[in-house]
Amino acid sequence: MPGERIEQRLRLRAEQPPGATTLVVRGGHDTPDKLRTHAERAARAWSLDAVPLLGISVFAVLGVPLDDLLRRRFATFRTIYLPSAGHLTGQGFELLTTGQAPHFTVRLRRADDHELSRLLAALGAPQPNPQYARSMIWRREED
Amino acid sequence: MYRVDITADLNDEDETGYVWTFLDEARDPAQIVPGALIVAGDAEAAAVCQVIDLAPTGDGMIVHLRLLPGLVDDYRALVERSLAS
Repeated sequence: MPGERIEQRLRLRAEQPPGATTLVVRGGHDTPDKLRTHAERAARAWSLDAVPLLGISVFAVLGVPLDDLLRRRFATFRTIYLPSAGHLTGQGFELLTTGQAPHFTVRLRRADDHELSRLLAALGAPQPNPQYARSMIWRREED
Repeated sequence: MYRVDITADLNDEDETGYVWTFLDEARDPAQIVPGALIVAGDAEAAAVCQVIDLAPTGDGMIVHLRLLPGLVDDYRALVERSLAS
């Protein structure tokens, strides 16, 4: 049975936004279509101030070294994006303190082709994840 | 390339700390029950996950998933080892 969208305003964490030089991580290799799918999924589930919330997930590198965050949370991603928070906000994207720290939602306003292309550019080039496959179950030593 | 049981953005988390997606993005929603081990993600990035719970939200049903350690390929190797004669 369907329910209400989950209103995020009162769930946002009361913390300062990440500093401009703080890196944020997003795993995978995005395209505008993928970003649109993810943003629309968020808008199906979440609202902000009673309006469907378009957005995608990122994690800030706060309190733990980057490699630790990558190993704990992103080991299944071959590639990652690693822009700074300041670069995203400088391109007009708001970072919302959703979920548990250090998760953030990059808020989109329309998720149209133009905005999605701007977001993809703001994420920068995908780069190899140095912690890919570093969190693993048992493997033969020779593997 | 992976053939996942349920499409998800493995970056997504909510206040529970679990990955979440919608049940109607599953190939076979009947398989998505609490405790089940499934493969979630997309063709390029997938992970073995355990279904935690389902909750009505928005216009559908949200599925919470616990990311399990290791790659999908690791689990295949594990199963092949266990079944080897």
